[in-house]
Amino acid sequence: MVKEKNPAVILMGKQATDNDNNQTAQMLAAQLDWPQATFASKIEFTDDKANVTRETDTGEEVLAIPLPCVITTDLRLNEPRFIPLPGIIKARSKPLTKLERQTTDQPRVEVLTYTAPATRSAGKKVATVDELIAELKSKGALA
Amino acid sequence: MNLLLIAFDAEDAVTCAAFGQASNHSFDILQLTGSPATHLGAGKVISLDLPSLPPADYFAAALKLIAEPYDRVAAVSSMRGKDALPRLAGLLDWPMISDITEIVDEKTFVRPILAGSILTKVQLNHPKAFLTFRPAGFPAPNLGGESQVESVNPEWIGSSKRLSESLSEGGRPDLATAKVVVSGGRPLKDAETFEKIVGGLADALGGAVGATRAAVDSGIAANELQVGQTGKIVAPDLYIAAGISGSTQHMAGIKDSKIIVAINTDGDAPIFDIADYGLVADLFDALPELTQKLQK
Repeated sequence: MVKEKNPAVILMGKQATDNDNNQTAQMLAAQLDWPQATFASKIEFTDDKANVTRETDTGEEVLAIPLPCVITTDLRLNEPRFIPLPGIIKARSKPLTKLERQTTDQPRVEVLTYTAPATRSAGKKVATVDELIAELKSKGALA
Repeated sequence: MNLLLIAFDAEDAVTCAAFGQASNHSFDILQLTGSPATHLGAGKVISLDLPSLPPADYFAAALKLIAEPYDRVAAVSSMRGKDALPRLAGLLDWPMISDITEIVDEKTFVRPILAGSILTKVQLNHPKAFLTFRPAGFPAPNLGGESQVESVNPEWIGSSKRLSESLSEGGRPDLATAKVVVSGGRPLKDAETFEKIVGGLADALGGAVGATRAAVDSGIAANELQVGQTGKIVAPDLYIAAGISGSTQHMAGIKDSKIIVAINTDGDAPIFDIADYGLVADLFDALPELTQKLQK
C-alpha cells in the first residue's frame, strides 16, 4: 500500500488498545528503511523534514527526521476537534476503500490461553494518619 | 537457546540480569552506555561505551549484526526499549513479544492485554524472537562472578538528528523500579503545589514521584511521571495514591504494587476498592502530616 500511495509521512497510533503491542509502526519503518519518531507530542514540518518532539523515559527530546518517515502519536499530540452532526453525516457518503488482509499460514506468535489476573480486594479503612503509619509499620512497609 | 539482553545503561543491566536469571539459560549483556556491569552473572558483557543513546534508526542498523546470532534478544519495556526493539525486529524479520511478565519456558510467555485486564499465555512458533519485559515480574538478580568484557564498534548509519533532549533531574529513584512511589492527581492544583506536597512525601520516603494522566494533561506534572496503561507500569513495595480516583487505565499501571494506600476525600472513589489501606481525608492535610511524621 505504501508503494502504491507513495506518502511522505505515515502517521500511526503508538499501540492498539486491545493487544497493547506497540510494535507495528517501528517494524514498518524498519522494513521501509525510513526513519522513525515514536510517541510524538508535537510535529512541525518543513520542506524535507519533520521536527518531532517525542516523549522519552526522562522527559522529551526533539528529533529532526527527513521525509519520508513514520511517526507514532502519543496522548498529548492533539485535541480532536468537535465535529458537528452534519459533518458526520456528510462523512458517511465519502468513498470507503476496503482492502483484503493478506494472512500468513501460521501466526508466529500464537495466543494459547486467556485468563483473568488475580484481583485485588478492598482493604482496610483507617481514620487517621497515625493509624496509617502504625499499619504500614506493622507490615514492614515503613522503617 | 542463547539469550542476549540489551541494557541501555548500568542500572538497566541489573534489571536485564534479573530476566536472564529467570530464564534459566546463560545470557550475554549488550550494554550501550556506562561502565560495563560485570558482576551480574552474564557469560560476557558486550560494551559499546557510547556517550549517549543513538536514535532508533542508528540503533537498529548498528545492532542488527550483533543480535543476529542469538535466538532471543530481550530488553526492558521502557520507552527506549519500545522505540528501538520493534525496529530491530522489523529489520531482521523476527517476531516480537512485548511486555512479558512471566517466563513459562523458552517458547512460552505470559503478557497482559487490554490494559492488564486479561493475561494471555503466548507461544512462539519461530526459532528467533525479540522480547520486552516488565521489570516488576522479575526479582533482583543474584550477583555472579566476573564476566569478561568485549568491546565492539559497530558502524552507525542513520538519518535522524537529535536537536535537544531533557535528561532526568536525578535525586529521585527511577519510577519504573522504585521501591516506593507517591502519586498525585488533578486536585494538586498546580506544578508548584504538586512538587511540594507529593514530591515532599516522596523525598521523606526516598521514593519516586508519579502522576495521573489528568495531572499530566493539565500541566501539573511532567509527562514522564505518568503512571498507567499508556504511561509507566510500576510495582513498588509501597504505592501511595493521593487525590486519585482510580481510572481503569491508572489502575492498570499500579495493580502489581505490594501495598497500595489511597488518600482521597471521596470515600466512594474506585481506588478504595483495590487499596490495602484507605484514608478518607483531604490530601492537603494528610500528606504534609504524613511527611512531617516520617521525617522525625
